[in-house]
Amino acid sequence: MSPILDIQNVSKFFGGLAANSDVSFSVEPRTVVGLIGPNGAGKTTLFNCITGYYPPSRGQVVFKGQRIDGLTPDRICKLGMARTWQKVRPLAKLSVLDNVVVGALARTRSVPQAREVALEQLKVVRLQHKADHPAGGLPIGERKKLEVARVLATGPELLLLDEVMGGLNPAESEEIISLILDIRRRGLTQMVIEHDMKAIMRISDRVVVLNSGEKLAEGLPQEIVTNPAVITAYLGEAVA
Amino acid sequence: MTTPPPSSSRRRSPLAPVAAVLAAGAALGLVPAFVSSPYALHLMVLFFLSVIMGSAWNLIGGYGGQYSVGHAAYFGVGAYTVVVLLQFRQVAPWWGLVPALALAMALALVIGSITFRLRGPYFVLASIAVAEIVRLAALNWKDLTNGAEGILVSDIPPLVVGGKVITNFVSKVPFYYSGLALALAVVLVTVWVERSKLGYYLQAIREDQDAANSLGIPLTRYKNVALVLSASFTAWAGALYALYVGFIDPATGIGLDISVQIVLTAIIGGIGTVGGPVVGAAVLVALSEALRANLVTDLLVKGGLVRETSKVGLFLRENLAHAHMLIYGLLVALVILFMPEGVVGALGAFARRRRQRLAREAP
Repeated sequence: MSPILDIQNVSKFFGGLAANSDVSFSVEPRTVVGLIGPNGAGKTTLFNCITGYYPPSRGQVVFKGQRIDGLTPDRICKLGMARTWQKVRPLAKLSVLDNVVVGALARTRSVPQAREVALEQLKVVRLQHKADHPAGGLPIGERKKLEVARVLATGPELLLLDEVMGGLNPAESEEIISLILDIRRRGLTQMVIEHDMKAIMRISDRVVVLNSGEKLAEGLPQEIVTNPAVITAYLGEAVA
Repeated sequence: MTTPPPSSSRRRSPLAPVAAVLAAGAALGLVPAFVSSPYALHLMVLFFLSVIMGSAWNLIGGYGGQYSVGHAAYFGVGAYTVVVLLQFRQVAPWWGLVPALALAMALALVIGSITFRLRGPYFVLASIAVAEIVRLAALNWKDLTNGAEGILVSDIPPLVVGGKVITNFVSKVPFYYSGLALALAVVLVTVWVERSKLGYYLQAIREDQDAANSLGIPLTRYKNVALVLSASFTAWAGALYALYVGFIDPATGIGLDISVQIVLTAIIGGIGTVGGPVVGAAVLVALSEALRANLVTDLLVKGGLVRETSKVGLFLRENLAHAHMLIYGLLVALVILFMPEGVVGALGAFARRRRQRLAREAP
């Protein structure tokens, strides 16, 4: 099977700083790829390069066989890739439902149709009871769910989730984990940035580890947890 | 648990607001049959013009969150195009409107494509700068515009349809109806925009441009659509204004104070709402007229607080009319300070609190 997303030698420089350098890996359809690494490893920068928030300084990003590096975020979204933000970005003054309607309008002109799609997606994340609330007033757990519903409504094939469990309590994290597994069952591909290693191990088919902007390791979850280089990067040099 | 009224349920029934607007329009349409006072009609024409401009700005400023403080450019282009064609080429204004609107829309597209890359205060400054360029062009392109002297509108040809003279534009009544019709049109367009994909996208852009962009919204395209729509109505208002007062010069036609006036109308009423600019227009026209006509001194004298012939009375009589811009500015500052969501927003919050209190008190 050909990969849905192919990241080829992507580098991103900010002045002299290499936030990503020469990162390559690919994502197979209908899988969940976990992207992990210490703080400042360049995970979010890589997401930004993939989704068009800024163009990579070097390298190529190929999505469904088409080069997308250099395209704008709205074009990339239309092609079927959607991302959530680490720091959630609700459209605060709009209702929860209207937030999702905005996402759904990526695939339709008709507002009534978009509302139907939006209501469906709110049910998927179990937020339908808050449909009429202003999005700005939601607590963090529900904001994260809203982010997911909103990107699902854009009708993506590939979802990039940037720390959707960040700042959540264990019960809320558990809900997100089952949501991700649910989305996977529906045949969508996901790339997930997460700090919680236990969660990553449960949801990921493959794991990519970034460190100081470079790809440190890649493999099955059980390979990654036993990889000495990864352990060193996370915990420092072994004592003795 | 009570929650604020959902913006979404408001959008479900487009018929109610349309019916309300049409009913208000019908009622206002009857006014000239009963009111013959030219002063009253004059105030109503000013009110309609203010509604048109405030509502037009609201499309891009209120819904799209792009605070243009350069709408005088479109106002001036509309006014000058119609007046220049009328005075120097004998083109009737209703035909002159076609190139006037086309020019304003083209200008909006050029300005938008350049300045919409900028965000926040940089966009505001750029919009001011562009309007100043247009004003200076009008000031110095003397062959076309008469420069600072301005152009006097000598006579508007009578509007003849099918051999029948509809109006000869002597009284204020034809301007009253033109203003009313255009004000209704722009308010109805706002009702439509609020419920359309365009409206959703503009509000998404206002709330968070990066999030909007990542949800598939091409930012510049949608901002441009809103600006072009906004500019066309503003230009129309400019044309109507110039024909109504019968004179246009760069200061009164493209000055910065027009841009500011337009923004204030929307902000005071409440931006991003259909009714906001209408309320703002009513408040500002009434306020500036009351201050200009020195109603404050009259009230103080009549109320017995100040004697007409006393030093204070004379001082007020002498100076308050001149200071009307100062007082106007102070009042505007107070409204913005205490009603950051505008009059409509404040009323909405008041109604919500009241409903919540009633719900709590209900057994």
